[in-house]
Amino acid sequence: MRHLVFLLEGPSEKEALEAWVPTLLPPSVQSHFIVFEGKQDMERRMALKLRHWMQPDSRFIVLRDQDSADCTDVKAALLARCTESGRAADCIVRIACHELESFFLGDWQAVAQAFSLPRLADLDRKAIYRDPDRIALPEAELRRHVPGYQKRGGARRIAPLMDLERNRSRSFVKLREAITRQAQP
Amino acid sequence: MQIEQIRLKNFRAFRDVQMKDIPRFCVLVGANGSGKSSLFSVFAFLRDAMASNVTVALARLGGSRGIQEVRSRGARGPIEIELKIRTDLGNKGSKLITYELHIDDEGGRPVVVREILRYRRGSSGKPWRFLDFSRGVGEAVTNELDSVDDESKLTREPQTLKSPDILAIKGLAQFERFPAVVALGNLIENWHLSDFHISRARPEVEAGFADHLSREGENLSLVVEYLHRQHPALFAQILDRLTHRVPGVTSVEAKTTEEGRVLLKFSDGSFEDPFLARFVSDGTIKMLAYLVLLYDPQPHPLLCVEEPENQLYPSLLWDLAEEFRSYALHGGQVFVSTHSPDFLNAVHLDEVFWLAKTEGYTRIHRAADDPQLNAYMEAGDRMGYLWKEGFFAGADPQ
Repeated sequence: MRHLVFLLEGPSEKEALEAWVPTLLPPSVQSHFIVFEGKQDMERRMALKLRHWMQPDSRFIVLRDQDSADCTDVKAALLARCTESGRAADCIVRIACHELESFFLGDWQAVAQAFSLPRLADLDRKAIYRDPDRIALPEAELRRHVPGYQKRGGARRIAPLMDLERNRSRSFVKLREAITRQAQP
Repeated sequence: MQIEQIRLKNFRAFRDVQMKDIPRFCVLVGANGSGKSSLFSVFAFLRDAMASNVTVALARLGGSRGIQEVRSRGARGPIEIELKIRTDLGNKGSKLITYELHIDDEGGRPVVVREILRYRRGSSGKPWRFLDFSRGVGEAVTNELDSVDDESKLTREPQTLKSPDILAIKGLAQFERFPAVVALGNLIENWHLSDFHISRARPEVEAGFADHLSREGENLSLVVEYLHRQHPALFAQILDRLTHRVPGVTSVEAKTTEEGRVLLKFSDGSFEDPFLARFVSDGTIKMLAYLVLLYDPQPHPLLCVEEPENQLYPSLLWDLAEEFRSYALHGGQVFVSTHSPDFLNAVHLDEVFWLAKTEGYTRIHRAADDPQLNAYMEAGDRMGYLWKEGFFAGADPQ
């Protein structure tokens, strides 16, 4: 059996992936989530987790927010950790540009439905949301439209309602493709 | 004395669980409502059953619905409790006692449908049945086991208990001669649950006598007074530990006022006048309470502690875990339930069990049985990190 292991920087990412993964993976693939306590903790501890992971036939996806750092630098640093663990060949690193919430800005229909705010559905047509990865502070952007928005609870509400085939975030599409690729036998 | 195994069937959320290879220091992890406290209630149930009878014990646990409430939802058949206890008999080696209790309702009344005490000498060989009762009738061995080397030489005598809801280990006075039964009785009678509440420990109490810290800690000042008077060397040790853990505190004293109330006074090196307990931080009182509990001159044979981490500074939890472990090694066995990764980081692989609830029933997993946890721990990882990272399958709230 193929095992797909996600290394994540926090619980919101896990909430979201737990909602997406069942629709993206065939039943023959079992998913696992390793949840770290933020970026530093993830960088410090991920090599040990990869090196001593025991399930045979496992593939890994490392997902991290870009935040304000340079996307290439972040990716290179994480790839270095994968190489250090000796399992780079089984790993794909994906960066959320700029944050997990960028993925949500790529699907206003889902946001509107999640918070019962139908008027938000129209935002999909606005020019700035056609490429949500360019918005530097997506969580703040989300909070502007959904007052009181909170990270984990928000992810739990929005993620299950998303249309994974029609998301406008390019970094989301890259993640989705990586998941499909790592699931292939 | 050490509980090595617990098997439960149809007892509250435990439809059918078995805990094996239980260490002297045993840490339980699980989401709220996963059954950590229910596990401790097994011991409370046995104590109540021994002090009075099974009917009373069921009513105490399940209220007016008694056995209907205590039996797992949707389950049929008797409630079963089985403990395997290793007793240390000094230079005579150790004995493994198995105590098995099946309770059911018959004609609307709780009845002990089976009660068995088995006894094994050494680590191999066939166990000898020492006591076997059903519905108040059965037989028990009458001769001293130590003088017998073959089961056929045991003499058994039929006995009838006063009522079918009474435990034979309690009802038959003859067992007082048998060290193994005395040990079992001692464990059940003298186990202790600590569920410390700051608000209960703070107020001054009426003068009195207490040599053990109570469940919620309201007699803390009395125990401090007792230790101070009767065990000055031990008390000095407690103070020494406390001053290392809590910055500023240099001494603690219990004073009886003219109105006959006992006050706790804490001295801070920087000030001349001591502080009363009610003005001292929660963490200071809690740390003192745990030290008083753990440096008990007469340790409990079994100590169960609910979530000791509250109000304590995270870095102190490592020390606290070590204190619990030394109590377990020198005194009685310790079960601790915790939600603290910092506490868990100080705990060894073979000391951790986690509870996971699936479809309404609790399962208990032993961390040492999980190869992945073994691999990470061998590579220098820690239980608290592994727990937070999600490696205790099913432990997190769903």
